[in-house]
Amino acid sequence: MEDLAPRFAAYLAHRMPQASNVEVAGVSRIHGGASRETFRLSATWKEGGRDVARPLVLRRDPVASLIETERDLEYNAYRAFHPTGLPVPEPLFLETELKWLDRPFFVMEQIVGCAAGSPFNPDPYGPLAEKIGRQFWTHLGRIAAAEPKDIGFEMEAVAPGECWKRELDKWEKVIDEDELSPQPIARAAIRWLRRNPPPPAQKLSVVHGDYRTGNFLFNEEGDIKAILDWEMCHLGDPLEDIAWAADPLWAFATPDRPGGMIPRAEALHLWQEASGLKIDPVGLRWWEIFNSLKGLAIWISAGKEYHTGANRDPILALSSWYCTDMHDRILAGRLSALAKEERA
Amino acid sequence: MKPEVDTALSGFFVTLMTEIAPQLGGEYSTGSVGLIGMSIAMAAQEYDRAADIRFRENEGMRALFAEAGKLVEDKALAKRLLDAATTKDTSLKVSALNVSNDALKTLLIELQTSVETSKSSWAPALDEKIWAFLVDAMEGRRLVFPALG
Repeated sequence: MEDLAPRFAAYLAHRMPQASNVEVAGVSRIHGGASRETFRLSATWKEGGRDVARPLVLRRDPVASLIETERDLEYNAYRAFHPTGLPVPEPLFLETELKWLDRPFFVMEQIVGCAAGSPFNPDPYGPLAEKIGRQFWTHLGRIAAAEPKDIGFEMEAVAPGECWKRELDKWEKVIDEDELSPQPIARAAIRWLRRNPPPPAQKLSVVHGDYRTGNFLFNEEGDIKAILDWEMCHLGDPLEDIAWAADPLWAFATPDRPGGMIPRAEALHLWQEASGLKIDPVGLRWWEIFNSLKGLAIWISAGKEYHTGANRDPILALSSWYCTDMHDRILAGRLSALAKEERA
Repeated sequence: MKPEVDTALSGFFVTLMTEIAPQLGGEYSTGSVGLIGMSIAMAAQEYDRAADIRFRENEGMRALFAEAGKLVEDKALAKRLLDAATTKDTSLKVSALNVSNDALKTLLIELQTSVETSKSSWAPALDEKIWAFLVDAMEGRRLVFPALG
């Protein structure tokens, strides 16, 4: 296994010319997001006559990934939201020069003493579910309420009436390019989504893109300390994030409690309070169907990465098998019911 | 008597999760072994049923095509539906069944797209049958998330 410690220490020394005796220890790879290699490590150095120790996280581009994203998207999201008080790690360095660690990477604060819930655990938060759930939906409302320009979140804008089309085009293209076998349910979903476009977004918001169980850290008291994995963030309809967070795949055994947290009605109420926005049920239904399709596209893409040998991380094979099966079933159930409604 | 493949794979899953994973030092390695263990457990589920699932799906689609071929107005599509309805699976290898499954699903997508926009009186009933097939097929492929014990 490659020894990242001396190479990363050299990088830190370069980025912190005021520091001396920079050392890096305890480099440990962790599962953290499906599109970047993630490492925990401890850095120590001397600065101004005193010893400094800081636990850090290094996120490096992989050779191939579950989701092909630009690392600066995620870094810029942390940079935009960190000063707002939303719990995100402090971003420290973004590096695109390949000479340091062969591939681009970024560095951020390590959130210590916390855990993430498994999205495949039917009860990921146990007795903390209520407390965590209230924060989870309130934080999502705060993300929707933020004015992108005010927090320095600069991304390509889209007209409120076009948010749905841009996202649908993007993920349909992923399926077109990556499917290893014909996908009748995904294709039926795409046709339904195009026949039944949602109302225009009431506001152009920052959309996290992967806001769900498993993508935030909480401590033993049940306080959410870091919202992670902003790799798919973009500007768009805030209903998109609600639908993804409430997708039946996450904590699948508790569909009445999205993500294994609080009842759906309470979750949506908290989101509306925090965002100051109203949830249009027709729009939300569209985004729910869309997100199950987006999930399918991600798992289809993961399957192709594994199949071709571009990336042999076992999470790609498992998600291709299990999550494709789940999202196919979720979509088949919903779309067949909608087809029956249309016929009636 | 020897243990069937699915029995052995299910045993490997338990061994990996209860005996090997706890002995590993690295968090990433432990997590990866857990994922591999769950994948092995799902492979065990697939072992006995994989060919049967595909064989039944293929027969189901052929039955749909035999009915649809007599209804659709597009003559070229009708001919392809009726031709596909008469095909047979001649090998029970999963790889061979996948080839015919893919071909039949491609045609099913074309048929469903056509039925959705058809104004004919038979279209709603055929659409309902197609959805019933898809829901059943997905239920047939349901993987149970593995649990220890």
